[in-house]
Amino acid sequence: MSKEKDTYLAQSEKQTLFRFSALYFLLSVVIISGFSYMYYDSQKELTLQEKKATLQEYSKTLLQELKELHVNFDKNRIYPRDEKFDSAIFDSDKKLIYATSPTHLRVDKILYLEGGMIHLVSIPESYYLGAKYVIVKMKDDAVWLGETKKELAIFVFLAFFFMLSVGYVLLRLFLKPMRDAIHLLDRFIKDTTHELNTPVSTIVANIEMIDKNSLDANLLKKINRIDVGAKTISNIYQDLTYVALGNKIVTRDENLDVYGVAKERADYFKSLANAKKVSLRVESLNPSTLYMDKAKFSKLLDNLISNAIKYNKINGSIVISVNAKEIIVRDTGVGIALENISKLQERYSRFNNVSGGFGLGLNIVASIAKEYDLKVETTSKEKEWTKVSASW
Amino acid sequence: MDEGERVMVRKIILTTLLACASLNASAYKNDCVGCHNKLPVSLDKYFYRYLLKYSSERNVKSAMFEYLKNPSQESSVMAEAFISRFGVKEKTKLADEELSEALDRYWEKYKVFGKLQ
Repeated sequence: MSKEKDTYLAQSEKQTLFRFSALYFLLSVVIISGFSYMYYDSQKELTLQEKKATLQEYSKTLLQELKELHVNFDKNRIYPRDEKFDSAIFDSDKKLIYATSPTHLRVDKILYLEGGMIHLVSIPESYYLGAKYVIVKMKDDAVWLGETKKELAIFVFLAFFFMLSVGYVLLRLFLKPMRDAIHLLDRFIKDTTHELNTPVSTIVANIEMIDKNSLDANLLKKINRIDVGAKTISNIYQDLTYVALGNKIVTRDENLDVYGVAKERADYFKSLANAKKVSLRVESLNPSTLYMDKAKFSKLLDNLISNAIKYNKINGSIVISVNAKEIIVRDTGVGIALENISKLQERYSRFNNVSGGFGLGLNIVASIAKEYDLKVETTSKEKEWTKVSASW
Repeated sequence: MDEGERVMVRKIILTTLLACASLNASAYKNDCVGCHNKLPVSLDKYFYRYLLKYSSERNVKSAMFEYLKNPSQESSVMAEAFISRFGVKEKTKLADEELSEALDRYWEKYKVFGKLQ
């Protein structure tokens, strides 16, 4: 695969790559976090189970003491305390009867971790002092948490790299058919345009070489028609090449004599204009230079001039005015409706069916203008005139 | 109505109001404590029996209410030996409000809330 093709593919591939990566990344994050959470939860549960036996022992002691207190409540009202654990008792309406430290009752779980304390809720057979829910709780030393975090960090790191490599392989597989199809199309377009170039150039060059003075009027007319046809094909060919090759046309910026180039392009289009009986004139209002690639500037002008011819009236006129910082192409053509001017530069848009065309021209103008920071403006009066200016 | 009669009417109204006010207090005192004092088992023992079985204020009061309205050996919280010795009490003759009022007093007197240290 050539490097050139690679870069041509870049745009569409990048987009697919980005979308796929975003989706894949999102899925990976969801899966990894899901697993991490499950692991964290299981570790937490394990720790709780380990402490459960101890808490059950405490609970048993507390219940024994509560029982004694219940029986002797008329003599003793000191709530049993132990430095090893905190406790709280709630009645069947979940109302707090007494707590050694602020406690929030949860009845959905027997064993849970809350506020750094491991809680065990037990429901005794008899409700001593009315206590239906007896909670004993002790501080969680959080050793497990530190270890779990360490393990999780390693897991996330490894899993992410694993997913990354799987993703890479998947991406290659996923993109392959698309790459193949685009390569095929790309090669086809390039081969076709290349094969067209030689014959079209030959026709145009040979017509130029014919000594028009030695021909009789009838033959000259025919030759001119061939010239117009060949130049039209040549223009379309160049537009296609420009669009197909995108930005990979080698650029050589230089100081251009704007009037000189305009004159040259006008000469080239003379026969096309003549065929439609349109007069084509270039005027220099001020000397003007522009630092730009000649081929691209010509392409831009070609499109403006060919549009001006294409959408002109019979016996109309075209004036190309060169000013210090702008070039204006003015025609006496069909004009463009106001609401359509903004859509002009969309690819394949054409605003009337008088002439044929691919609708690529103004899109190319826009892309060249953007590259060189030129300001292209179109003003028009429908059925009367159109003025396109490019300023810098 | 002369001045003397007015004073008389006021006294009667005042006395009636005071009598009414003290009626509820005496419902617990007269109808509960009065009889239970004659028994060898003090009144608080029943309370802690109820607490042991019914836990919350709402449950304890409603269980006592039901029992007093309709006493039976099955619904009693006391031990069989106690029942066989003293028997099941008679149905209460108190009105529902009086009974509730008496139970509220009973609860306030023996409740655990706020008494633990």
